[in-house]
Amino acid sequence: MSLARQDAVPTYVVYAASLVVGLMIWEVAAQQIPRIIFAPPSVVAVELYNGFASGKLVVAFAGSLAHLVLGFVLAVAVGVPLGFLVGRNRTAFYLLDPTISGIYAVPPIAFVPFMIIWFGLFFEARVALVFLMSFIEIMVTVSAGARGIEQSYLDVARAFGARGRDALVKVMFPAVLPFVFTALRIGLVRAIHAMIVAELFFASANLGRVMKDAAQRFDTGGLLAVVVLLAVFGLIVQEVLKQIEARVIPWHVRD
Amino acid sequence: MYWLRNKWTLRALGIASALLIWEALGRTVGEALLAGPLLVIPELVELVADGEMPRELAGSLRQMLLGYALACCVGMPLGVAMGRSRIFDAIMRPWVNMLVVTSVASLVPLLIVMVGTGFGFRVLVVFIASVFYIVLTAYQGTRGIDPRWVDVGRSFNASRLRTFWRILLPASYPFLITGARIGLVQAIRGMVVAELFVIVGIGGLVHNGGLYISTANLLALMVTLMAVGVTANEALRYVGRRLAPWYEERYASGA
Repeated sequence: MSLARQDAVPTYVVYAASLVVGLMIWEVAAQQIPRIIFAPPSVVAVELYNGFASGKLVVAFAGSLAHLVLGFVLAVAVGVPLGFLVGRNRTAFYLLDPTISGIYAVPPIAFVPFMIIWFGLFFEARVALVFLMSFIEIMVTVSAGARGIEQSYLDVARAFGARGRDALVKVMFPAVLPFVFTALRIGLVRAIHAMIVAELFFASANLGRVMKDAAQRFDTGGLLAVVVLLAVFGLIVQEVLKQIEARVIPWHVRD
Repeated sequence: MYWLRNKWTLRALGIASALLIWEALGRTVGEALLAGPLLVIPELVELVADGEMPRELAGSLRQMLLGYALACCVGMPLGVAMGRSRIFDAIMRPWVNMLVVTSVASLVPLLIVMVGTGFGFRVLVVFIASVFYIVLTAYQGTRGIDPRWVDVGRSFNASRLRTFWRILLPASYPFLITGARIGLVQAIRGMVVAELFVIVGIGGLVHNGGLYISTANLLALMVTLMAVGVTANEALRYVGRRLAPWYEERYASGA
């Protein structure tokens, strides 16, 4: 950004201040209303601490991660190459685009009853839902990126004699990498979403189970503890991916 | 064989072969696992003729549109304000970043405890599902407005208010419209999440559809939702072209 955007107070100080003030407002506001409607952050913090100290949240979270990771890895393994193919091959693009757009337009949650029919209520169904919800997103993003590779890059490569494999590995792959990272980040948000959807809508398990139990006790502190855990987890994973991206493709400037 | 390279021929071929594969798969595994299009289409006709499904769908869409309209009314000014004011940006960004990665499904049990499962709940879920996407798109758009345009306004002695109405706002139309489109997709997703959880409206029908022996009913409902999604997207694209004819260029260069 331009010089006008530089100033005395560093941004992260304002961020921290905003978070602290926001938490204080939440605390004061939540003290005014019954605990079964909304819990203040102090209660949520205690819930989180107890959950981790007793191991309950750790076990539940580890269980959730199992199908998250498996489903996401499968989605990346299938979605990235397929997206690249669809984006670079004109025939494949026009052949598959209507079908992909159609499936993409269906709200992913509507697949839940279908997943139950095909995969049951347990681990397989959860993996399948995570796969489905992140795969489509990854594929669509990568194919958009692959379609948008600057023709001039390829022309320069050809002028210097790069053909076939060389052009592919040395020009196209690096050019599409920023989009792969974007796809990973969007896909991961979707995958975390699918993870918790699966645990709430199939046989309740892991973090979904913790939430359902808390809801039955009108324990809003326990519910918010899981929500906060998921939000913080989502942010950390995003940040880690951004760091990796900065290392792998330092030429790609992102603000 | 030039006609075979034509994109419309390829698209038609793609759709036809997708339907053929679907039908063949359906016949192989049986309608309990996957009903083919020849079974789904009559089912869809029957659902529409019967009148219950269109009624439920209309009711669901009304609530969805209310939540979505609220999300636009709140999200767009918020996003524009964040994009143009550094202080406001720094205050809001940590919260928006955290809430956009929070899956709305994880908030559903909490929202049920807070507001019950009625009208307000469904509107609220849709609102939360769409508002942060609208904010972020408006934010990124207004932040990226070329400062030279503002400078031109200034050199013609435009007041701050006039600069906002005549330069900043038109320049952010494309992003506001893109945000509205992404937000609408998310709103429809949120609608189905809420309804599938408390089993009402079209989402409730989808849930019940999963209980039949034949999947024809379920698939007919999914096709309906797909049609809703595609129609909504195309409608907003049309509105975008009417409101901001310069939108399509921007859109095309971004794709």
